[in-house]
Amino acid sequence: MDAAMLAATDADQTRHTRLGAITSLHSAWMSGIELRDLAKSFGDLAIVDALSLDIRSGSFVSVIGPSGCGKTTLLRVIAGLEPASAGGITVDGGSPRAARSHKRVAMVPQQPGLLPWRTVYENARLLLDVNRGANPPEATEPTPLLQEVGLGEFLDSYPHELSGGMQQRVALVRALTLGAPLLVMDEPFAALDEITRSEMRSILNRLVEGRSVTVLFVTHSISEAVALSDRVLVSSPRPTSIVADIEIDLPRPRVTEVEDDPRFVELCAAVRHALHHGMKP
Amino acid sequence: MSRRLLAPFVGIVGFLALWEGVVRVGDVRPFVLRPPSRIVSYLADHFGDYASAAWVTAQHAVIGSLIGLLIALLIGSAMAASRFAEQAAQPLLTLLQVTPFVAYIASVVLWLGSGTRPAVFIVALVSIPGFTFSTVDGMRSADPAARELLASVDASRAEVLWRLRLPSAIPSLFTTARYNVGLALIASYLVEGGNFANEGLGAIGKRAAALNEGDALWGAIFSMAILGTIALLLLSLLQRLVMGWHVSQRTRPT
Repeated sequence: MDAAMLAATDADQTRHTRLGAITSLHSAWMSGIELRDLAKSFGDLAIVDALSLDIRSGSFVSVIGPSGCGKTTLLRVIAGLEPASAGGITVDGGSPRAARSHKRVAMVPQQPGLLPWRTVYENARLLLDVNRGANPPEATEPTPLLQEVGLGEFLDSYPHELSGGMQQRVALVRALTLGAPLLVMDEPFAALDEITRSEMRSILNRLVEGRSVTVLFVTHSISEAVALSDRVLVSSPRPTSIVADIEIDLPRPRVTEVEDDPRFVELCAAVRHALHHGMKP
Repeated sequence: MSRRLLAPFVGIVGFLALWEGVVRVGDVRPFVLRPPSRIVSYLADHFGDYASAAWVTAQHAVIGSLIGLLIALLIGSAMAASRFAEQAAQPLLTLLQVTPFVAYIASVVLWLGSGTRPAVFIVALVSIPGFTFSTVDGMRSADPAARELLASVDASRAEVLWRLRLPSAIPSLFTTARYNVGLALIASYLVEGGNFANEGLGAIGKRAAALNEGDALWGAIFSMAILGTIALLLLSLLQRLVMGWHVSQRTRPT
C-alpha cells in the first residue's frame, strides 16, 4: 500500500509540474473550477448548453435555479461522474476524471447516504476506507471533526439513532475528512426542517471559513445561498445557463445575525429578481 | 424474554393437547392417527438413534445450504453487475426451482455414490435459486446516494461490492434463509431416504414407511420438526447478531 501511495503522490507531483507551466497564468484557479462552453446532453435533450464559468480557488459559490434545470447533472460532470458532451472543463488544474481518481473532489449528496451497518465514526471515514492509495496527505481522522460538529458523543451510534440534521452533519464530516480542495454539495439541506437548516448553515460557514476549500453548492433556497456564499449564480431553466452572477459582499466570518442585516435582505431580493427574470422565456 | 419463549411454547403444547384430545375422545385408531403422547414416549425410548440420525441430517442441511449460499453469492454478484449475465442465468435458475428434485435423486445417487455427497449436493442445488434472487435484489437495493459517493472517489468494483452491495443484500438473504431452512431439511430427508447409506432421519423414515412401523415414522417426523425449530431459532440469533443495525431487529421504537 505504501508503494501505491508513493506512486500516486509521484503521479500527482508530475501532473502538477507539467500543468504548472500552463496554469501559472491562472494560478488563482488552480484548485478551482473552469468551464469553457461546456455542453452536456442526453441524446437530443440538452441539459447544459455553452456554459462558461470560473470559480476561484477558496471561494464559496452557490448555483440556484428552478427544479430540473440540470444543476445535478452539472455537478456530476464537474465531479467526473459524467463526461461532458462538448467544451472544456478544468477541475483542480486537471480533468474531472483525474480529480476524481486522486480524490480531489468531496461530495455531499442530497440524501446523507450513510450506511446503516456502519457507526457514525465508520461512516465518517467511508471515503478514506476505499481507494486508499489515493488518500491525499491532507486527509484527517474524522474524530476531531465529528466533535467539532457536536457529534462527539455519538461516535459509536448507528445512523438510525440520529436525527436528519445529525445524519447530514456526518455526511459533511465524511466529505471534509478527505481534505479535498473541492467540496461539491447538491442541495444537502433540502430535506431538513427550517430550524435545522439554519443550524446547518452556521456549522457549514464555520467549517469552510477555517479551511482553504472551494465550495460549489447547489440549492433551491435564496436565503441559504446568500447566507453561505461569496457568489451566487442564478441559472435558467434547462438547458442550464447562468442568467445572473451576484457577488455577496457580506462580511466574514458569517454569523446567524447576518440574516437580519438590511444588506442581506437586499441581496436576497436581487437573487429573487434574477430568478424571476431568468424564468421568462 | 420469558414472554417471548412462553408464547410459542403455549402454541405448541396447545396444539398437541388438542390432537391428543381428538384421538382419545374420538377413539381414532392408531394406524389412522396416533396420539402425540405415544410418539413422544417412543422418541424418548429411542433417543440415541434419533439424536444421531438428526445430527447427520442437520449436517447435510447446513453444509449443503452454506455451499449453496456461496455459489448463489457468486452467481448473484455476476447477475447484479451485468444484465446479460442476469438474463442468461434467470431461466436456468427458474428451471432449477420448478423441477421436482425428487425426480433426479436416484440419478444423483448413481452419479455421486451414496452417503453424504448426494445429500449435500442436492441441498446446495435447491437452495441456490432463492439465495441468488435475494442476492440480486439486495445488491440492486443499495442506496443510490452511497453508490454515487463511492463512485466520486473512484472506489473499485470490488470495494463497492464488499463495502456496499454485499452488506445491502444481508436482509433479503436472511429472509430467504428462513424459507430455505425448510427446503434444505426436506431435501436432506428425501435424499437420505433415497440412497443406501442408511443414515439420517430420512433413512429411518423410509425404512419405517416400508415396514409399516408407524411409531418409527412419526418419530422421524417429530424429529424433523424439532430440528427445523432449532434451526430457525439459531437463525434468529444469528440475524440479531449480524443485523442489529436493521429496522427489523429493533424492539424499541426510535
